Amino acid sequence: MRRFFLAVTAVISLIVVFILAGLVLYPPLPALIVSLASPEIRFAIILSIVTSTISTAICVALAIPVAYALARYRFPFRNAVNLALTLPLALPPLVAGIALLIFFGTTTWGKMLDAMGFAVVFSPIGIVIAEVFVNLPYMIRILKSSFAAINPRYENVAKTLGCTETGAFLQVTLPLSRPGLIAGTSITWAKSMGEFGAVLMLAGATTMRTETLPIALYLNLSIGDLDLAIAAAVILIIVSLGALCVVEYFYQETHVF
Amino acid sequence: MALHVESVSLALGDFSLRDVSFEVATGEYFVILGPTGAGKTIVLETIAGIHVPDRGRISWDGEDITHAEPRTRNIAVVYQDYMLFPHLTVEENIGFGLRQKNTEREEIQKRVAEMAELLGITHLLSRYPGTLSGGEQQRAALARALVIRPRILLLDEPTNALDTAMRERMRKELLRIHRVTGTTVIQITHHFEDVFALADRVAIMRDGAIVQIGEPSDVFWHPKDTRVAGFLGIGNMIAGTAKKAGDLVEVSTGTGVLVTAVSDVEGPVVATLHAEDVILSKAPFVSSAKNCLPGTVTELRPNGGIVTVCIDAGFPLTALLTRESCGDLDLTVGSRVFATFKATAVHVIPVHDA
Repeated sequence: MRRFFLAVTAVISLIVVFILAGLVLYPPLPALIVSLASPEIRFAIILSIVTSTISTAICVALAIPVAYALARYRFPFRNAVNLALTLPLALPPLVAGIALLIFFGTTTWGKMLDAMGFAVVFSPIGIVIAEVFVNLPYMIRILKSSFAAINPRYENVAKTLGCTETGAFLQVTLPLSRPGLIAGTSITWAKSMGEFGAVLMLAGATTMRTETLPIALYLNLSIGDLDLAIAAAVILIIVSLGALCVVEYFYQETHVF
Repeated sequence: MALHVESVSLALGDFSLRDVSFEVATGEYFVILGPTGAGKTIVLETIAGIHVPDRGRISWDGEDITHAEPRTRNIAVVYQDYMLFPHLTVEENIGFGLRQKNTEREEIQKRVAEMAELLGITHLLSRYPGTLSGGEQQRAALARALVIRPRILLLDEPTNALDTAMRERMRKELLRIHRVTGTTVIQITHHFEDVFALADRVAIMRDGAIVQIGEPSDVFWHPKDTRVAGFLGIGNMIAGTAKKAGDLVEVSTGTGVLVTAVSDVEGPVVATLHAEDVILSKAPFVSSAKNCLPGTVTELRPNGGIVTVCIDAGFPLTALLTRESCGDLDLTVGSRVFATFKATAVHVIPVHDA
């Protein structure tokens, strides 16, 4: 049995590597470099990095209080809140995207935002909002398990030594949850870099306007420019690999995906 | 009396406190003794202000602190698992409380150094807690608590995680710290040895309630009910004075009986002996066991297949026998017997004189 199971494991991992390597090695190297340097891919890289960084920052800022509340406090409807905050994780991103589109595109609230010059639909702001909506649950889950693993007695000691509740959180719990914070941030950022469905629905796929890397891949593939599509894909593979390494290094305990 | 805990009740998940009341005087060493799950840690945390009681009142020198925030109470706690902040060095851990009070840097350094000196951990100041042994972590945790000069030091089972030899040393250390700093101490434990070694007064706690409070000798020799006696039940407790006799000590009980024990403690002591370690015989017999005392059976208490035999050997002594051996020896009240036990079975605890 042991030999059979190990053989299956070896074959599957080889297939995965083979498939991905095949993609990277498909275009000749000089062509790949030219594609990577093309204005369209450069735009997509910069737009992806900027929107992912902003949406990750927003996710971190929102997830810290929510994750702490879920990990430490008892409050009414706690389970319902937990479910609601986990739902986007189980939802197909396309569905999340169309819900966002309806919310920002048709409701009075969405129209008010638009009138104030804060256009969400088919705009780069929409990219950020779609990414936050889809990825916040990941950040919350990772941070929640991180906070829950820290013995509350650390905070008790800090409080008896003169800390306010906030002081104990900032000086003890937050530093102790650093591995979870780093892992959560890298995963959220990498997932934002690769987010397609929700972004497509809310921000649309406009060349050189809302063209993130996955959108660039999609647009170029649909017009038959395989080299540009592969260039976008290669960058996304590198991003995923990097995020995975960071997570493995800082946060071996948590199984995030 | 400095600390007043009056009729405190609190429900907290599976645990609860029921009408807990006691008082602790300034400078006193007060021990709360009880089995695991009696709610002892919750009592400490309620005094520290981590939990607010559902009912009842806590006051210090007449000032009501029932609802005061922990940080304003100046009551420090040392948990049994130390809870040193793993991301800070020992020095930063000890200085933590002073930093919260915006103490000047030089003052922090000076007081941290003093406290490290008192606890003998100066050489560990630059280390991280993860690299320290259990005993070293405990000293660091004590230093962190004491450096803020707390009006009460709360100790959560400080001798529990240690082995027997370390436990003895920690008791001496705690006594020394109590003498040097004069801090009021409330310690919880489920080791009765801690009570004799450390306590001015002891409270016995059970199922979230305090069932008896008094000086250690009161509580041990006059347990309020059989359940307290049962909890304290180590079978035999022999009060006396220990004197060295070669490599061993002889405990004189005051009625002329000498009990030999393996120990190096001298002076007033309590010696304990488990009832199952006592062998009874009709005639004295030669063996490697150091103690062979004549006595008279005063009571036989059968309980299932086991009989508890009470003997007057110049002091009350109990032995556990099977019903069968009891029959073989033909024991009745008034029978003359010899009680044999090894010197290693006798555990000598120095009595702390208040």
